[in-house]
Amino acid sequence: MKKLSDIIFSRSISQVSDYFSLNREIEKALDHNELETGKSINIALVSSSTINGIKETLLVQCGEFDILTKYYIGGYNQYAQELLNTGSDLYEFIPDLLIIFVDTRAVAGDLFFMPYEISSDDRRFWIDEKVNELCTLALAFTEKSSAKVVLHNLEEPVYSPMGLVENKQELGFIESIKLINKGLTDRFKKNNQIFVFDYNAFCSRMGKQNVLDYKMYYLGDIKLNPKYIPNLCREYTGYIRAFAGLTKKCIVLDLDNTLWGGVIGEDGLEGIRLGPTPEGRPFMEFQKCLLSLFKRGIILAVNSKNNPEEALEVIRTHPHMILQESHFAAMRMNWDDKVANMKALAQEINIGVDSIVFFDDDRVNREMMREFLPEVTVVEMPEDPSLYCKILMDLNCFQSMSITEEDKKKGKMYAEEKTRRRMAQSATDLTEYLRQLHLTVSIEEVKTLTIPRVSQLTQKTNQFNMTTRRYTEESIREFMKSDRYRVLSIHVSDKFGDNGLTGVVIIRKEKRGVWYVDTFLLSCRIIGRKIEETVLAYLVSEARKQDVHLLCGEVIPSKKNKPAGQFYEKSGFVRIKHDDEADVWEWDLTKEYPFPDFIEVKIKEQPEKGQM
Amino acid sequence: MAENENILMLLTLLSRVLDIDINVISDETSPENTETWDSFNALVMVSELENTFNVHFTMDEVVSVNCVRDIKGALKRHGIDFG
Repeated sequence: MKKLSDIIFSRSISQVSDYFSLNREIEKALDHNELETGKSINIALVSSSTINGIKETLLVQCGEFDILTKYYIGGYNQYAQELLNTGSDLYEFIPDLLIIFVDTRAVAGDLFFMPYEISSDDRRFWIDEKVNELCTLALAFTEKSSAKVVLHNLEEPVYSPMGLVENKQELGFIESIKLINKGLTDRFKKNNQIFVFDYNAFCSRMGKQNVLDYKMYYLGDIKLNPKYIPNLCREYTGYIRAFAGLTKKCIVLDLDNTLWGGVIGEDGLEGIRLGPTPEGRPFMEFQKCLLSLFKRGIILAVNSKNNPEEALEVIRTHPHMILQESHFAAMRMNWDDKVANMKALAQEINIGVDSIVFFDDDRVNREMMREFLPEVTVVEMPEDPSLYCKILMDLNCFQSMSITEEDKKKGKMYAEEKTRRRMAQSATDLTEYLRQLHLTVSIEEVKTLTIPRVSQLTQKTNQFNMTTRRYTEESIREFMKSDRYRVLSIHVSDKFGDNGLTGVVIIRKEKRGVWYVDTFLLSCRIIGRKIEETVLAYLVSEARKQDVHLLCGEVIPSKKNKPAGQFYEKSGFVRIKHDDEADVWEWDLTKEYPFPDFIEVKIKEQPEKGQM
Repeated sequence: MAENENILMLLTLLSRVLDIDINVISDETSPENTETWDSFNALVMVSELENTFNVHFTMDEVVSVNCVRDIKGALKRHGIDFG
């Protein structure tokens, strides 16, 4: 059996028709059952003009990361009817992702040419009307579907019959389109299902003079020159990757000629290029760009062939070094092979190699990595360092549909982890080490503010997750309101920093006095520090306080949660049920469960919702 | 057909866009005898011909193409030599 990516990477792609022919090859392979495919994603595309070619291209681009996509393509300019008619084929298709591609000419109609035929008051009215129309369509759909919606905004025209004085009009036409776009963004700022895609920015990037090829437009109502279809699809794949959870988490960097120009071992501290000079600025700005990603939660690490003392001297003392030791979650500076280093890094940081992006100016290193660790995304770095920043900004693999406050701190937290590990290496015994960490565990009921993070943890945590039950924000909100459920969030910090909200417990009250631990999960970066035991101790003490007579922990085994599965047993629970569905473990509530004495526990009580 | 570089570029392009073997393409190849030569592919073809040969067709030229011979004729008018 072949993988989708095997077919795609066997060919080189230079034109849009290469995508079409690859698409045909993939479809043939699918027909003959020659492809190994996992879960597929349903994508619906509705539009106001001809959008041929997008489906074919997108299928190939998603295939690059082995996601099989299935499509529903709306009828020509049928988007409004299809979105409003809940019985339409669109609804029947049950998309995971819906793309609404509406273009300015279609929305504006004759106003596109004669915007000043109506008064500025009428234009104001028209703007509101169009914003409402588009919002109503998107909202109508999300009322019946849980699909994520990608709603195009409108390309802002560059031409106006008013010419130079366009922006002297009381309410100009170009301004009107900008206001529609602003209206759309404002309306959905807090909506976590509808995402406004900045098609206007996309057009600017491609060049508004190029995106519309008049001939294609007149001949086939094609508003986007086919040669830009691959670029547009790249933008869509950002959403698809995020939806499929294929977001990259970590950037691993080479040093010489990557973070600075030149080779430290040969050029020395004064000789390397880094700083506000023409040769140094590309590296300095590349570092700034990396730092901005770090600050939004991307983990950074180093994998380089250097004498560690020399490399560290640059990092610690070079006046224009933007990235500091404290930004790196792990560093491998040695003469071992980079593939082995990479594996060690992934293990040390505790992430999968498939969530790593690798930057290295050396072609041989890149090829070795592709050959021996194909899961790592290896960036094809240009010869010319002045393009480093652009390459980094063009990478569309860190997309996420929401960035919580916790996410933003992730890069920092993983870097703090490095300091913890160092201490662990010097401490002789685990308890002693943990004692030195000055751990604090705060347990509190879920609040409106923490719902997104709690839901996200249930969606993403695989290893220490007893039942791997995935809950949406809506479900958590329901639990919050219900008397039958208690949702607890667990917050861990220590002397090196704040790990943030990293654990969730959901208690399901079956009947009076019977508690089931429906969900018990901890993020993998805090396990093994007796946080598990602390949470359990809290649950037992709570149950005893509330006169519960049966406290049961459920375990649903999965491929990844083995470490969690054995925890109840190790902790002295007794198995009372064992079948295909789940194991149930009981704690004898006549006994207490001891709190680890070196962890400070803070309980933030909330008003009771009522007892059962 | 004379083995000139432009011919090869044209045939490669047509074979890719139309998903047909390079050897079956002749001057008579047309939408009538080629299933994949539909209206959208015709426009993709135009776009890629323009990119590849660095020319710009008029709308009339595009509309009057009925077979591969016509494509060659149009390209010749734009100074592309087929030997």
